[in-house]
Amino acid sequence: MLDGVSFTLERGEVLGLLGPNGAGKSTCVRLLTGYLVPAAGRASICGFDVQDAGTLARRRLGFVPEDPRLYPYLTVDETLGFYARLKGLDRASAKSERDRVCARLSLDGVRRSPVGRLSRGFRQRVAIALGLLGDPPLLILDEPTNGLDPWQILDLRELIVELAATHALLLTSHVLAEIERVATRALILQNGRLLGSAHVDPAAPGALERQFLAMTAPLRS
Amino acid sequence: MAMTSFLPLLGKELRTLFVQPIAYVLLAVFLLVMGYTFVTNLALTHSASLVRLMFQAAVLLLLFVPLITMRVLAEERRHGTLELLLATPVREFEIVLAKYVASMALVAAMLVPTLIYPAVLAWYGQPDWGPVYSGYLGLGLLASLLTAMGLAFSALTSNQVVAATLASGLGLLLWVVDALAAVLPAPWDELVVQCSLLAHFTPFATGAVYLSDGGFFFSSTLLGLFLAVRALARR
Repeated sequence: MLDGVSFTLERGEVLGLLGPNGAGKSTCVRLLTGYLVPAAGRASICGFDVQDAGTLARRRLGFVPEDPRLYPYLTVDETLGFYARLKGLDRASAKSERDRVCARLSLDGVRRSPVGRLSRGFRQRVAIALGLLGDPPLLILDEPTNGLDPWQILDLRELIVELAATHALLLTSHVLAEIERVATRALILQNGRLLGSAHVDPAAPGALERQFLAMTAPLRS
Repeated sequence: MAMTSFLPLLGKELRTLFVQPIAYVLLAVFLLVMGYTFVTNLALTHSASLVRLMFQAAVLLLLFVPLITMRVLAEERRHGTLELLLATPVREFEIVLAKYVASMALVAAMLVPTLIYPAVLAWYGQPDWGPVYSGYLGLGLLASLLTAMGLAFSALTSNQVVAATLASGLGLLLWVVDALAAVLPAPWDELVVQCSLLAHFTPFATGAVYLSDGGFFFSSTLLGLFLAVRALARR
């Protein structure tokens, strides 16, 4: 359950959402994607309320879930085509978008493979590609480095930095160092409450961890 | 309100349905039982009538439609694909409608080959075409209601067996519920008869088409689809 969590995210920002297990990170993400309905309060994307104008809000959202569950019998191409059409792209735009995201995520070699036969890392890359379809202004990446090997993590970091210039990105991660490398700001949650905002400075490694520990330690017991 | 997501969703649903062996198993068993009934009925009665076959098909639909619908929403929920699907700009009613049309397509694939039976009767005899047309209309309406009801149960649970059991249990109960009317006082007896699938299907199977029976199946289908959408929105 979340209580009193309020924040805004602007284009050009990479916001890290941090917190121990059960802090409310996934709940926060699910409220933003419209999967969960808030008992009180509201969330909006580009000015569109997630509940009242859900389709307009979700048209501006790219979402990469923590454990991407995809249809195993669809090929990578079919999966991307299906979600591209759901995002409102016409056939021609869907095809060019498929080509673009496959090239960007190095998926060209597996485009005809059924998703169910791919490794965890490739499935994660397909999920990231799905999030990029249609170039939405807001990207939510829930534990995006899960299942990726070190080289793929480096690639993802590069991608996040590249996207950060023109998009708003919300990242959740258990790995503080990961957030520290790419985020411009971090919010720390615990027990469904927002403990505070942490300054992120990639030039001061370990600083985020110190702020995190200072905020969460009093509530740890 | 444009339904831009409906066609891609329908395409995916049809693919999902026909990629699994259960569709072909149901199709084969349905046609086997129907063929057996047609041949034995013809051999025993020497009559160019499909009335008995219509009732046989209706009972098979009561058993088979829940097996078609049990997985459509329950599986999305259980496998976690629903979360990503609902993060796209689709609406719940588009998802339910696509699954309803895809399930009805499989029912149609089961019923269409049985059109060979009236063709055989027409070749060798002179069937009364009224009950044939109305019988198929009744089967379509019954299948529509059962599909909508099955979708509602599939939306309520992530367990396919539970969804199928509840849907087939309610379907069978509604099929025979009119027998209870004999022991109930007015106006409950009439109410029970009005809920009976058998009471509303019998006129169709015997060649009588009443607007009230059609209205019952149509409105019940809409109710089932509405409940499925509400159950899906409830998460």
